[in-house]
Amino acid sequence: MKRSRFIILSIAITLVSIAWMSFTPLIFPSAEDTPKISAPHPGFPAPSFNLEVFNGDSLSLSDLKGQPVLIFFWASWCSVCKRTMPGLQSVYEEFHERGFEILAINSTFQDTLPSAVSYYESQNYTFPLLIDLDGIVTQDYQVRALPTSVLLNSDGIVVNVVIGAGLSEAYLSTQIRELLSINE
Amino acid sequence: MFPIIEIGPLAIQAAGFILLISFWLSTWLTGKFSSALGTNGDVIENSLLLGLLAGILGARVGFMLQNFEVFYSNPISLFSLTPSMLNPAFGVLVGVLVAFILSQKNHLPLWATLDTLSPLLLVFFIGFQIANLANGEVYGLPTQAPWSINLWGASRHPVQIYTLLLVFILLIWFIVKTKTLKSTGFMRNGLLFCFTLSGLSLITIFARSFVDKKILVAGVDLLQLVGVITLISCLFIIYKKLFQPLHEAPVHISMGSNQSADHLINALAVLKSEFSIIRTSRIYVTQDVKKDPPSSEFFNQVVEISTTLPYSQLRKKLKSIEQQFGRVPGNKIVVPLDLDIITYHQEVFEYHGSHIPDPNLIKYRYIAEPIAEMDPGFRHPANGKSIGAILQKIPDHSMLNIWNKVKNGTKE
Repeated sequence: MKRSRFIILSIAITLVSIAWMSFTPLIFPSAEDTPKISAPHPGFPAPSFNLEVFNGDSLSLSDLKGQPVLIFFWASWCSVCKRTMPGLQSVYEEFHERGFEILAINSTFQDTLPSAVSYYESQNYTFPLLIDLDGIVTQDYQVRALPTSVLLNSDGIVVNVVIGAGLSEAYLSTQIRELLSINE
Repeated sequence: MFPIIEIGPLAIQAAGFILLISFWLSTWLTGKFSSALGTNGDVIENSLLLGLLAGILGARVGFMLQNFEVFYSNPISLFSLTPSMLNPAFGVLVGVLVAFILSQKNHLPLWATLDTLSPLLLVFFIGFQIANLANGEVYGLPTQAPWSINLWGASRHPVQIYTLLLVFILLIWFIVKTKTLKSTGFMRNGLLFCFTLSGLSLITIFARSFVDKKILVAGVDLLQLVGVITLISCLFIIYKKLFQPLHEAPVHISMGSNQSADHLINALAVLKSEFSIIRTSRIYVTQDVKKDPPSSEFFNQVVEISTTLPYSQLRKKLKSIEQQFGRVPGNKIVVPLDLDIITYHQEVFEYHGSHIPDPNLIKYRYIAEPIAEMDPGFRHPANGKSIGAILQKIPDHSMLNIWNKVKNGTKE
């Protein structure tokens, strides 16, 4: 290729690229900052639900507007879930007074209610245990492995989805501190 | 969406698995490409692996520094084997730094090494796209287009599919240009890397427009901005490497004759009249190590010249000097004068079947020993190995003696 042709071609490519980049926000504007559609994915409003608490009450996600919420999907046969939950309990004890809430949703349709309840009671957990009897909420949240943890900010927007053992006590603590804007 | 792979307590999402596979595949391809180019594959692979490990550690330490108070009360969690609690930016910084320090320590030449890493760049870029497709990250804008995919509650642009289709074109160019990972396809190092990186930048600039959540900085998308800056830098480097007149740079020429040492003395005089000479070795007497067909002893000498002459013209000029001394092409029994270019301007390339640096440099003593004598600080332009290390590994055990005019010569 000739020198002059290379220079002309390079300048043309550069200018087109800069123009494409500059006009992108106009031609391809992002959807509104917070989408209206709900999805179990960071940036989207969390799918709403109304579930029975194991002691008979019922709880709706919309009741918790204004509070950061951790939704924790688990089953009593899942050893990783059971290893994770004591950590959740201690973070819960530390931050519940400032508004942090944990909803431990038992995927009851792939578990048995008595074994779930007996495990939960034996550990003296204080966060509420929710029963997903027909698995609709588990499905809505596209849970593909247990445990799956979905963290919501106080506006009910998903900020983080952790699949598997990633939700250690330290990690959850850092996330909640950020959501509650605690900088000690 | 791909399923999740569970290994013990680790639930690796398909995305992580794809990234692991692409890391393995890309290091394997880099190793293959490296041995074709003659660059230092072992050191490059080790630097990559150590860079990756340092990167992961760095990402964890970075996260710890960010959230110091949590780790202060719970230091054990620093070592928890989970993929969360990572600060990717810090990790990349530490990883690249460690890989860079290792490459410097081993004297890896910058541009030849970057050329070697070009297939890694391509494969990892592809792996990254497939991983994002698998876990639904970096989703596209909503669209009515018939090829849209349903994701996160809307019909969306399949951004990664656009990207992959374009990368496919780049991949075909890459395979054709390198003759399926046989050579860089260019006479100067760094061109293959810069062209590959320009292609990836262009693809990123194009495809990012269709992404829903953009990272806006001063009114433009951050990744598009990085793409444009990378593109401009690459085009500038390509321009300099393709069109700037060559600087004076060293060339090592191996001279040989099985007729007379005088041919070497006279040839050196011819070279002196044409080029500026940097160094010359003494003349050595060697048994012909190739022995095909068997012939008498050889006189060898290496001379380092400095020239701005392009490789192809230099080669022509040396051939014509050979012919002045009565060399008949094809005659391997009577070799009045043989002039071979061993290194050219510190570059690594292939030209009409000849590889530069000459592969014989690491095979035969009659080239390596004279170089070691005249320039003990010499390093191989492709792999950065010192001449001392090359001589230690050399498979050739023929005897070289310094030619002495009085003892060996026929003249009195």
